[in-house]
Amino acid sequence: MIELKGVSRRFGEVLAVNAISLVVETGEVCVLVGSSGCGKSTTLRMINRLLPSTAGEILVDGKNVCDTDLQTLRLNMGYVIQGTGLFPHWTVARNIGLVPGLLKWPEARIRERVDELLQLLGLDQEGFVDKYPHQLSGGQAQRVGVARALAADPNILLMDEPFGALDAITRETLQNEMLRIKQQLGKTTVFVTHDIDEALRLADRIAVMDQGRLIQYDAPEAILRRPASLFVETLVGSQDRGLKMTGLQRVGDAMQRHLHPRPRDLDKPGVREHETLRQALSLMLWQGTESLPVMDEDGAEIGIISRAQIWAGGH
Amino acid sequence: MFSSPNRVIVVLGALTLTLAWVLDFGVIQPNRIVAGTGYGLGEALGLVASVTFSVGMVMILGLGAVASRFRYSLLTAGLLLLLLVLPWGLALFAERQLPGSSTYARTAMGAGFWCLLFLPALMLGECLQRLRAGRGLALILLALVLTSWTLAVTSGDIDSLSILKEYAARPDQFRAALSDHLALALSAVAISLVLAFVLALMMVRRVSWRRPVFGVVSFLQTVPSLALFGLLIAPLSALSATFPLLQQLGIQGIGWAPALLALIAYSLLPMVRNTFVALTDVPPTLLEAGEGMGMNARQLFFRVKLPLAMPVILEGIRVTIIQAIGLTAVAALIGAGGFGTFIFQGLGQAAMDLVLLGALPTVLLALVADAVLSALASTMRSAP
Repeated sequence: MIELKGVSRRFGEVLAVNAISLVVETGEVCVLVGSSGCGKSTTLRMINRLLPSTAGEILVDGKNVCDTDLQTLRLNMGYVIQGTGLFPHWTVARNIGLVPGLLKWPEARIRERVDELLQLLGLDQEGFVDKYPHQLSGGQAQRVGVARALAADPNILLMDEPFGALDAITRETLQNEMLRIKQQLGKTTVFVTHDIDEALRLADRIAVMDQGRLIQYDAPEAILRRPASLFVETLVGSQDRGLKMTGLQRVGDAMQRHLHPRPRDLDKPGVREHETLRQALSLMLWQGTESLPVMDEDGAEIGIISRAQIWAGGH
Repeated sequence: MFSSPNRVIVVLGALTLTLAWVLDFGVIQPNRIVAGTGYGLGEALGLVASVTFSVGMVMILGLGAVASRFRYSLLTAGLLLLLLVLPWGLALFAERQLPGSSTYARTAMGAGFWCLLFLPALMLGECLQRLRAGRGLALILLALVLTSWTLAVTSGDIDSLSILKEYAARPDQFRAALSDHLALALSAVAISLVLAFVLALMMVRRVSWRRPVFGVVSFLQTVPSLALFGLLIAPLSALSATFPLLQQLGIQGIGWAPALLALIAYSLLPMVRNTFVALTDVPPTLLEAGEGMGMNARQLFFRVKLPLAMPVILEGIRVTIIQAIGLTAVAALIGAGGFGTFIFQGLGQAAMDLVLLGALPTVLLALVADAVLSALASTMRSAP
């Protein structure tokens, strides 16, 4: 659990972060979102004390970060930054093994852990561990960056616009990866981004920041439904808020479930239960139908989703 | 790979062929001082050797002019062969033209010979570049050529060569000069490396140090070397007169002490500049990533900063060593020893061969230092 209590940071005359208080529960993903210069990165960097806070206190699992030994604090927080920050003169294996090495794990255990993480991130190709960062694509490099942050199994993950420099397709793949890792590992995560869609996608709770102040701290759905100010409303885009909302809900939660799974009619297009209502809606629009069959992972039809159900879930 | 004529090879090849025939290949001197008689290529080497050389050179020209598959490999082989047989050409010249009666008579390399040495070496460099050969091959070729020269010298066939005669008259002095020269240049570089490292670290940490340090080391670089050597005599004499201990350590107004000080002063600029740039060029995001991951300052410095800065620092050491080897020759003027001793003695006695005995090894030392450090830097670069 991470608690910020009235945390401020001053750069000369400028108050970059102004008395922010928020709580990130254990296992939750908190996304700090706002335009550049709003203080979101500064807030993140105060948690691992890359920047000292000017006022207020930050507690990690009830303990003030300023009372914790700096190295111990940081070794227990995975840190991912934009543009990876991988060491160019180290191989993938050595980069990922950085923190375990600092913690003086035995060689064999580090090697084992590196293989484990490469598998987790889908990078377990032959010879990949011996590559240098300049031989990787942007997406691969950022995966390695995430693997490096997870290496010593830290309790907390700090991510500073990790996917900001990637192209749209790679970014989406990595966001999906993040959701999978979140489900698998359940790390307490603080994630900084300027992309509201990314925030809506990944967050359990979103902290909207503007000019150093915390404007609203709420679940994604609440942010969409009840924006606290005009600023938040503009940020989430008042025009397509409805569509964004459908993007937050799973087909599985809104559909009408069959009593028994049925074999699938292969001619009719369908959606899967873990897909979003937005995807279902898009498919309906495209196909010009009122309802779609819903499949499970094995392809059996387990229910049906209709326009009315999407409408009912949409507000 | 087919391509158009290589102008560099053609021009240099034609120049080599022309100059080899127009200029004297070798000179026979009756003794050390008197100017000798020059011999052209034909007279010097005889018909067979000179015609063989010319035919070979024409073939090289042809390879340069006409595109063909393996032309750079063939050219490299041909030019290497030429450079390998060159010292034996001197042996042939001595055998043919040196009067056997006089013990004072000596052979010297003529202008034509120097052209045959440098122009093909340039062409070889061009070929290696076209072949995209690494430093390794260049070093091997250099070693082969040096071996050929060593063999020629040790065989005794070119003992009549003026520079070797000068050497034969003072082998102990030569060895002393070599060790003095190396000791002076290398210790100056080593000391300045340590100083520069400390200075660069301070400049990285404190912005206020940057301007004054750069100002001072740049100023030192602008003082003419002779002047700096001279300027140090007075204060050091005074010091050693006041403190007898210094005198016992060998620190005096002349000799190695002022020379070393001056060499260190000159070495500081390239060393400080490269070390500072190398250390500040490490991307700040990397340092922040390392710091955020829990590396402490020491780990960050030794595992990230220093390894990433190393190639540029090595480049600084390379430039500094070459500069120091050259400047050490001048330091002979204030009695510091080294190869400069022969140069100034030779100038005083109007014996150009003795000047050569000082100048050639100095150039050779600089070339070897350059080759070794470049190779070191490039291996560090290729395996990041």
